[in-house]
Amino acid sequence: MKTRRLAPLAMLAAGSLALAACGGGNGDGDGGAGGEGEALDSLTIMAPYFAAVPPESDDPVGTALSELAGVPIDVRWVPNSDYGERTNVVLAGDDIPDVMVISGKDQSFVSTAEAGGFWDLTDHLASGEYPNLVAENPEVQEAASVNGRVYGVYRARDVIRTCVILRADWLENLGLDLPETTDDLREIARAFTEDDPDGNGKNDTYGLIAPQWPGGIGTASPYDAIEVWHGAGNVWRDEGGELVPAFTTDEWRQALEYERDLVQSGYINPDFATMDPATWNEPFLNGEGGIIIDVQSRAAQLAELFREQDPENYDQYVALAGQLEGPNGTYALPTAGYAGFLAIPRSNVQTEEQLHQVLAILDKLNSTEAQILMNNGIEGDNFTVEDGFAVYDESKQDFTDQVTGAWAQLGMNVAGYEGYSPKPQTEYDEQLAQLRLDLQAEDLENAVFNPAASLVSETYMSTGTQLDNIIGDARIQYIAGQIDEAGVDAAIQRWRDTGGDQVTAEINELYAQLD
Amino acid sequence: MTTLTDAAAAPAAVTDAARPPRRRRHRLAATVSRYRWMFLLLLPGIVYFALFRFWPMYGAQIAFRNYIPFLGIEGSEWVGMQHFEDFFTNPDFPRLLANTLILAALSLFIAFPLTIVLALVLNELRLQILKRTVQTLVYIPHFLSWTVVVSLTGLLFAVGSGPLWTLLNGVLGSDANFLTDPTWFRPLILLQDVWKNTGWGTIIFLAALAGVDQEQYEAAIIDGAGRWDRVWHITLPSIRPTIIIMLILQTGQILNTGFEQIYLMSNALNRTVADVFDTYVYFVGIQQGAYSYSTAVGLAKAIVGLILIFGTNWLAKRFNQQGIF
Repeated sequence: MKTRRLAPLAMLAAGSLALAACGGGNGDGDGGAGGEGEALDSLTIMAPYFAAVPPESDDPVGTALSELAGVPIDVRWVPNSDYGERTNVVLAGDDIPDVMVISGKDQSFVSTAEAGGFWDLTDHLASGEYPNLVAENPEVQEAASVNGRVYGVYRARDVIRTCVILRADWLENLGLDLPETTDDLREIARAFTEDDPDGNGKNDTYGLIAPQWPGGIGTASPYDAIEVWHGAGNVWRDEGGELVPAFTTDEWRQALEYERDLVQSGYINPDFATMDPATWNEPFLNGEGGIIIDVQSRAAQLAELFREQDPENYDQYVALAGQLEGPNGTYALPTAGYAGFLAIPRSNVQTEEQLHQVLAILDKLNSTEAQILMNNGIEGDNFTVEDGFAVYDESKQDFTDQVTGAWAQLGMNVAGYEGYSPKPQTEYDEQLAQLRLDLQAEDLENAVFNPAASLVSETYMSTGTQLDNIIGDARIQYIAGQIDEAGVDAAIQRWRDTGGDQVTAEINELYAQLD
Repeated sequence: MTTLTDAAAAPAAVTDAARPPRRRRHRLAATVSRYRWMFLLLLPGIVYFALFRFWPMYGAQIAFRNYIPFLGIEGSEWVGMQHFEDFFTNPDFPRLLANTLILAALSLFIAFPLTIVLALVLNELRLQILKRTVQTLVYIPHFLSWTVVVSLTGLLFAVGSGPLWTLLNGVLGSDANFLTDPTWFRPLILLQDVWKNTGWGTIIFLAALAGVDQEQYEAAIIDGAGRWDRVWHITLPSIRPTIIIMLILQTGQILNTGFEQIYLMSNALNRTVADVFDTYVYFVGIQQGAYSYSTAVGLAKAIVGLILIFGTNWLAKRFNQQGIF
């Protein structure tokens, strides 16, 4: 007999919601709102944490933030892995916090916002009354909005992260330069595969390392990067005032051809469709593959891993290049620029006065002082400042981890990051950090933003994952040689038939209203 | 095992309902007072089912609404059968159904009989120590999570380095990547299923086999029956009721292909054969937060399962076998 462990998932979901509704009643009073129209005497915030344990209620950072804010701040920490689920459970209950970190514009957030569950902050933020909440990058605030309406203060992230990481020692051995164009990259991938870059006389290396990518298209995968470099646009492309999906462009097909050539020539790991992304670093470290297209922070991570292996020469292994010039011009792939936002549910914050108060507190939480507290900790306790950098006390590492793994998640930094960066340990670390900043500045000029980032199509909300998977799967099937061009056409047709055409129509309608 | 408890509780209710109504109340009260300690023992079970099985069904109504958590279950708009219609008219529906049914058929017609075969083989082992050792060994895979089983599969079939990849391609003279080739997806799923669950599944049959009257065997031996004759004419008929019950319960689970295993084994290259209802519900419901729609899918699945259970049960009775109710 087979014991089926999984009851139908939906029933489970329904069950947990019902249980949560049962448990909703025993809340310890509504942390925030005293009553109708009165000023808030405390502020409850729901936020995710990555740290091993969340901060206690008497945490020094929390105490200091409460002092800054003028009211006690009570944070309800939820493990990041459960956060999306908890958000829905909390919204369904009657113990809703004053401020919630919302991790993305998913269906339940958008429908709640449109049903009036969250304050529309568009005009309040534009008023300039809260200087620390005025976005440094207005296009990011726009991207984080729902069809132009801003429902939250976004949590800012680096706009440029994608880069090409290469084995510096292999380039050196073969006398090759850093790649500047996509053709250079192909040549390097070929040389890394065929010209014995590690000089051991064996044919045991390949070029590009690509893992199985969770999610379909527009998820900053190596394939997305290559397609943007070819000029296919970022998810959507504006063609004469009309938005078309990037994958319907000729440039996308050209990029697909390029990717297929890499695969068919054997310049990529043979298990690119199934490799566990958690093991992405290993082939690079072990000298099996020599190129990774991913976020810049992976370069620092790899350098650190090489330091453990080879402390003497660890600075000889990792090379970094930014966007590559494609056959049709120079384009860079940016991130969305934000990771969720802090939204204000209307359940507890009921009047404009209360909203004003909450926004004023959020404004204070974005001050330099608060940013240092949330990102670095307590100066003189777990860190000291040297030359404008934070130097952490190793004996207080647990506390520091808790700061960066929990409090930092509350940080919005929309008006610019003002906390301290950790002091680079060596000259190489400093160079690498500087190189990353230089590449960011350079790539930002050529960044291709998704013109539909702020647009929320109803059809996409309900079927987007499948639609994205159709194209994402077809892409992998094509470059693996499983289907031909007609197969890609068929997949695009399937995309159109299962809701894609409707999404395009809805997006264009919203796009027309935007201007 | 909850399904078994569920089934065992059902006959009592059925016979009670069949009695004439007037005498029933009186007799019920008498029965309750007479067996009050028994009923007290039953109470935790009843509470469990009420709280964790029946109360959540209240939430199943979101299948007929456009559920928005913020508005609550009752505040959300009533849309009737809309989500069911969307599901059945979805262009992906035939593919999902076919994939699910094929996997279910493999499990029902290959994995399930193998369990019985293994139980019979174990039963024929005369050396007790050997029997117990083998039994323990075949139970072990059951305790490994699917994540571990899938990781092992990944290592064994890794392109270029996996021992089974090398062996199978050597034997077949091919150059297949078993993990991504759609034609190999179902055999791999079946293989994992058999490896992980067959041993554990034998428990219930071994228990049934232990209850077979030993004198029958002795008599058969005197009559000159060989080993095959004894298995065919005594052992199998004796455990037939158990087989039928397990079969009925299995058919009820037919649309539940198991989420973890399939999800972990699927990738961009084999998704055409790997998409089943369970993974679909995950992608739509959990990843996109389309709770109403995925509840509708789950509910449709549950109803099909229920119909299958009753159908198989009815069939079993038609052929003069004992059903479960």
